[in-house]
Amino acid sequence: MAYSQPHSRVSVLSNSSTASSVEHFSPAASTTRFSLPTTPGLPSRVRPNIYDRNLTKTRIPEVSGAAFTFLFSEMVQYTQKRVSGINDLERRLNTLGYRIGTRVLELMVWRAESQSKAPKREIRFLPALMSIHTQVWRAVFGKPADAIEKSVENADEYMIIDNDPLIERYISVPKDMSQLSCSSFTAGIVEAVLDGLGFPARVTAHNTPTAQAPSRTTILIKLEKSVLEREEVLK
Amino acid sequence: MSHHLFLLSPSDTPLYSLTHFSAKPVQNPTSPLSSNLPNWSTSAFAGTLTALSGASSSGQQSGGHSRVGGGQDRHVIQMIANASLDVIEDLMKTQNAMYLKSVDKFNEWTVSAFITPGNMKFVLLHEGKNDDGIKSFFVDVWELYVKTMLNPFHTAHTPIRSSIFDTRVRASAKKHL
Repeated sequence: MAYSQPHSRVSVLSNSSTASSVEHFSPAASTTRFSLPTTPGLPSRVRPNIYDRNLTKTRIPEVSGAAFTFLFSEMVQYTQKRVSGINDLERRLNTLGYRIGTRVLELMVWRAESQSKAPKREIRFLPALMSIHTQVWRAVFGKPADAIEKSVENADEYMIIDNDPLIERYISVPKDMSQLSCSSFTAGIVEAVLDGLGFPARVTAHNTPTAQAPSRTTILIKLEKSVLEREEVLK
Repeated sequence: MSHHLFLLSPSDTPLYSLTHFSAKPVQNPTSPLSSNLPNWSTSAFAGTLTALSGASSSGQQSGGHSRVGGGQDRHVIQMIANASLDVIEDLMKTQNAMYLKSVDKFNEWTVSAFITPGNMKFVLLHEGKNDDGIKSFFVDVWELYVKTMLNPFHTAHTPIRSSIFDTRVRASAKKHL
């Protein structure tokens, strides 16, 4: 039903292109080719300015998984063409994720706290880590991460574990690049959130497959010394 | 009564600043020097004039009113705001509230601050006490900042030049301050 008639917009576009192809060499015509078709039948759908839009979402915002996967695959390919090795590639994916993370943090906390009487920030590390595990993961991937672990050997290392990372679902890493973990992107998000909250850390992603969860990924957080010192003082 | 707002990035570079003259309380006594001069000259030399008038008034009327040139002294204002950063950074490590009220005082100025989760600092210099109004103002500015932040071309260190942002902040200042 919906596609029985060609869409009005499509027909308008083709009309204008045939009209302009006649006068292709006239400069006046070439400017109309690039202007938007202004037919009375089409309502002008100008999106409101960001400052006029509401930041609270009443329904859960969802992004098409296929579209995201496609975009992410392009991002990885684009990055890979411009790097010399796996470490470099992971570092760049981390940087891309960092840009997301700063926004996720600010928006997520705004949604949670802006209505409260006295908005709070997280200043202790463990609650902050918990909120990354649940809230950040829920905001970004729609579900909490699977586990948090603390390193036995090093006091400054923590791990967030995701058994089936959403962004890697359709990625199969070639054998010769087996160290590569595209979750470096996620690591970047985590790093940005920690940085924003004032816990500078180095965050990396590692593949840690198990029999049940072949794409299990560990996000390793290595905190800077200053964070541990501060935690000692606050205790 | 005037208010001075500064938005500082996590690395303490100023991204946006606003001077707001509140219509509500005491009318600013115009400095005696500037009232003798035509309008165009006072606007061009506002800083120098107020500095001068501040100096002369302290000589004439011994401690009568202590307002430094009606708060138009740009460099003094900036210095006070900068100086308060030390206190703010100490406080934000131990307090988990985003709104830190009256963290610092300097002559007639009180400094209040707001720390966003992403470590942006909003610093406001004000003269009177208006905790609730300032809090609502900060929350408004926070919302506008979050919206600015959502622009993919904006980083935490980009100065905010949007005219809409400016208009909105001014409108909120008019409402709450």
